[in-house]
Amino acid sequence: MSAPLPRRIWSWFAQTRVGRSVFRVGPPQSNLERSQAMVSSFLLHVQPAKVSRHALRASYSLGLGLISLYLFFILIVTGVLLMFYYVPSTLQAYDRMKDLQFVISAGLVVRNMHRWAAHLMVLFVMMHLCRVFYTGAYKQPREFNWVLGVGLFLMTLGLSFTGYLLPWDQLAFWAITVGTNIAGYAPVIGPKLKFLLLGGNEVGQEALTRFYALHVIVLPALAGLMVAVHLWRVRKDGGLSRPDLPEDSVQSLPLSQLPTNKSYGLMELARGTTPQVGRDPDDEIFSWPHLIFRELLLFMLVVAVVLFLAIFWNAPLEELANTVHPPNPAKAPWYFLGLQELVSYSAFWGGVVVPALLVTALVLLPYIDRKRQGVGRWFARERAVANTIFSVCLVTAIALTVIGTVFRGPNWSWVVPWQTPPAITEGH
Amino acid sequence: MNRSPPNANGVSRRGFFQLSIGWLAASFAAAATAVATVRFLVPNVVFEPDQRFKAGAPDDYPDGSVTFLEDERVFVVRRGNSFRCVSAVCTHLGCTVNRAGQGYHCPCHGSAFSEEGRVESGPAPRPLAWFLVTLSKDNRLLVDKGQIVGADKYLVL
Repeated sequence: MSAPLPRRIWSWFAQTRVGRSVFRVGPPQSNLERSQAMVSSFLLHVQPAKVSRHALRASYSLGLGLISLYLFFILIVTGVLLMFYYVPSTLQAYDRMKDLQFVISAGLVVRNMHRWAAHLMVLFVMMHLCRVFYTGAYKQPREFNWVLGVGLFLMTLGLSFTGYLLPWDQLAFWAITVGTNIAGYAPVIGPKLKFLLLGGNEVGQEALTRFYALHVIVLPALAGLMVAVHLWRVRKDGGLSRPDLPEDSVQSLPLSQLPTNKSYGLMELARGTTPQVGRDPDDEIFSWPHLIFRELLLFMLVVAVVLFLAIFWNAPLEELANTVHPPNPAKAPWYFLGLQELVSYSAFWGGVVVPALLVTALVLLPYIDRKRQGVGRWFARERAVANTIFSVCLVTAIALTVIGTVFRGPNWSWVVPWQTPPAITEGH
Repeated sequence: MNRSPPNANGVSRRGFFQLSIGWLAASFAAAATAVATVRFLVPNVVFEPDQRFKAGAPDDYPDGSVTFLEDERVFVVRRGNSFRCVSAVCTHLGCTVNRAGQGYHCPCHGSAFSEEGRVESGPAPRPLAWFLVTLSKDNRLLVDKGQIVGADKYLVL
């Protein structure tokens, strides 16, 4: 017996009466069974039976979208666990955070995991967006999936922002005070929107209740649905983007002339954009085990990294929210600090106009930039203009974020981090 | 049966009315649901403290003082026998301003206000609000944060 024990147990179980009712297919031995393993499993059938080698190249996708998805999973699991103890009340919320830190077994780690996974998810969703841009992957037929992706980016920020208030500490209270006041600057509907968001004129119990409902059900449900459509579209739009083949090689052969050394499923013949049409059999490999193995490996890696961060670094928790004394300086979470830096010049321009323009530009991008050249390669020369414009925006955003994070001290005055800050004069 | 014949687009008179009524009803139901939902989410009563408060006796404040009242987020200013009350809520994004020198300074985005509450620098779009100060029957200062007055409006005793 050369097969490892788990595989032998699986083989035995799969051929029992009960096992067949659960799995249908045992450990795959042939290519046919490898396809069946993918198609007959609910959890696996989302993915194709075969994938192109290009899609598996880690240097192409960097796995950023998948990592974002795994972080989303971690956030759902740890978030549900936190819900068992958290109470969305201004009188209790902060105490519950302290309980999680000091009383509940593993409470600290669960909260830390939730916080670090949230920060990482914002980071990885942003990097995923950059990857898709720099490889020109948003072009036809993937325009709408790019738009969904922009929506998911905003969902991620919204989830992060609503979660930020829940600990009801100084950080939470003042970040939300500033954030909702920015919403109040929107033309015409601003003040009403702010009142609607807060359920009143000030950040208080009503606001906490609303943010809680948004954070634990409204936004996760919407985001989950959008993730499902986003993944489904990746498949329907022909898998991960890849370079166009030279003209002569993409002519689809008539059925009678298809090579006979591979077996075709109906799904492989259905549409012109499926990865299989007009391809050499060598260009693609079976998802089982090549894709599944890589995905599992990446998942374990992501969980390990989040767990590592959660064990060695604690999520910040400042003092109980004090509704009259903002911390000095009062700072938003890092991913909003670029925005806060802009807001320090003008709330209307920095807080409303610039973000609205950026989001509009991102949404319209695939419908404006319609040239086919340079899809599926990093930094393609044909896309030099687009890449330059995007890079300038990106570098500006990073620079503003860095300035807001390390170069701003008390009273939002300019400080140099490696020099001692001037003494704060605070007189009441 | 006097059903009218379909026109060039294949829609009969009856079909047209049926479609119109159907779409009208559906649009009306959708609009009513949307309005009711938004209306549901906007509270009719908010559980927030009264905008008016008593700020103690006038003589609690020494001549020439600027006193921060933490719970109310205001500064009470006394010059001689005149009293004024200025909001400590920054008009930019709602942080609490600190007293700095002769004026006020916001720690969130760096807006600076003069002694009179005017914007001297920073992103704040409006001067700090001055509130109406009156004397209550029991000789206490009575501040109404619902009534915004000019910086030149004093309570003179």
